[in-house]
Amino acid sequence: MEKSIESIWKEGFLNSKEFIAPKLNNLYNKKSEHIVDKFTRVFKINLIAIVAGSFFVMAMAWAVDIPYMGVGLFVLANTLAFINSKLMKGLGEIDKNVNSYQYLKTFDSWLKEMIAYNQKFARVFYPFAILSVAAGFWFGSFGGDIPGDMLVNELMISFPEMILLFGFPLYLCLGLILTMAVLAFSAGRIYKWDLNIVYGRLFKKLDEILADMEELRV
Amino acid sequence: MSSDFYTSSILPYAAIIIKICRAYTNTQEDFEDYYQEVCLQIWKSRNNFRGDSEWSTWVYRLSLNVSMTLLKKKKNNHQHFASDYLPAELTEEPPAFADESLDQLYNAIRQLSEIDRGVILLYLEEKSYQEIADIIGSNPNNIGVRIKRIKERLKKLLDGKIN
Repeated sequence: MEKSIESIWKEGFLNSKEFIAPKLNNLYNKKSEHIVDKFTRVFKINLIAIVAGSFFVMAMAWAVDIPYMGVGLFVLANTLAFINSKLMKGLGEIDKNVNSYQYLKTFDSWLKEMIAYNQKFARVFYPFAILSVAAGFWFGSFGGDIPGDMLVNELMISFPEMILLFGFPLYLCLGLILTMAVLAFSAGRIYKWDLNIVYGRLFKKLDEILADMEELRV
Repeated sequence: MSSDFYTSSILPYAAIIIKICRAYTNTQEDFEDYYQEVCLQIWKSRNNFRGDSEWSTWVYRLSLNVSMTLLKKKKNNHQHFASDYLPAELTEEPPAFADESLDQLYNAIRQLSEIDRGVILLYLEEKSYQEIADIIGSNPNNIGVRIKRIKERLKKLLDGKIN
């Protein structure tokens, strides 16, 4: 006679061996590896995008006759990618043969170090990116004429008393220097904001996991 | 998680958690992951238990929700591994249960939808229609009909496999 599913269930579970609970260890093992893997993946994609983007901007800049901008941004972007690819080697050296907490803590330290390096570099990156753009447009070509020279001529007609510094209007130079100084000053915050757009959710998750793990250790 | 909490509030209900996790997983590795995740979520959500229901009912609800979520995630992130293409005899896991009939029953349960697995597990655990409805978030009147349908499906799936 066929057994009913109710009797299979009851009789099957009479055997207490079925109830051996797995040991709770390395609760966060998979999550830790997952979050580091995900970060590494996004980080790599980001670096590739920066390098690819720099080539694209360079090509476009040459095509529209503003090569100074293309060269400047190309050098800056590739320096950024180079620094970060060096930093990324440290990520690969994180020892996986430790417990999840130590693993994530090491990752967290690496992350903080990476952010600190990039914040320092951002102080150079953003001002010089603006300088490259300004130089690109100033020394570029607009129908065979140089836009910077055209602008100076126009300004000299309207403001004959205008002071020039090595051929550049003094106020424009001061404006550019001021913009670069503001960017250098707020570079850390801009970089953090930029970073949070890409990695914000991952950072939040990492903080949550670490907070949980610290509570578990109490 | 303190070992006190685990011993007093989770371990007595380990059987429930094991039964549920087994229904949502095919391998021992997945089962252990699900079990750990359920325990972790119970610990993390322990302050949300308001005492409106029994602790065991709350554990059922949480275990089912966690298992269903993990299964959904797994389906969404399905990755293909080399082992997916190996012959079945090389990848087959040993039976999860010593009792062959129970093993067959679980194999059949795993072929049901996520919700139906939960409903039948609660029914087999002799929960009332009202309790099942409360846990699943359904109407008790529909539960009876649903259970009848699930039992018919299971019967078909088990046809000839169990004596």
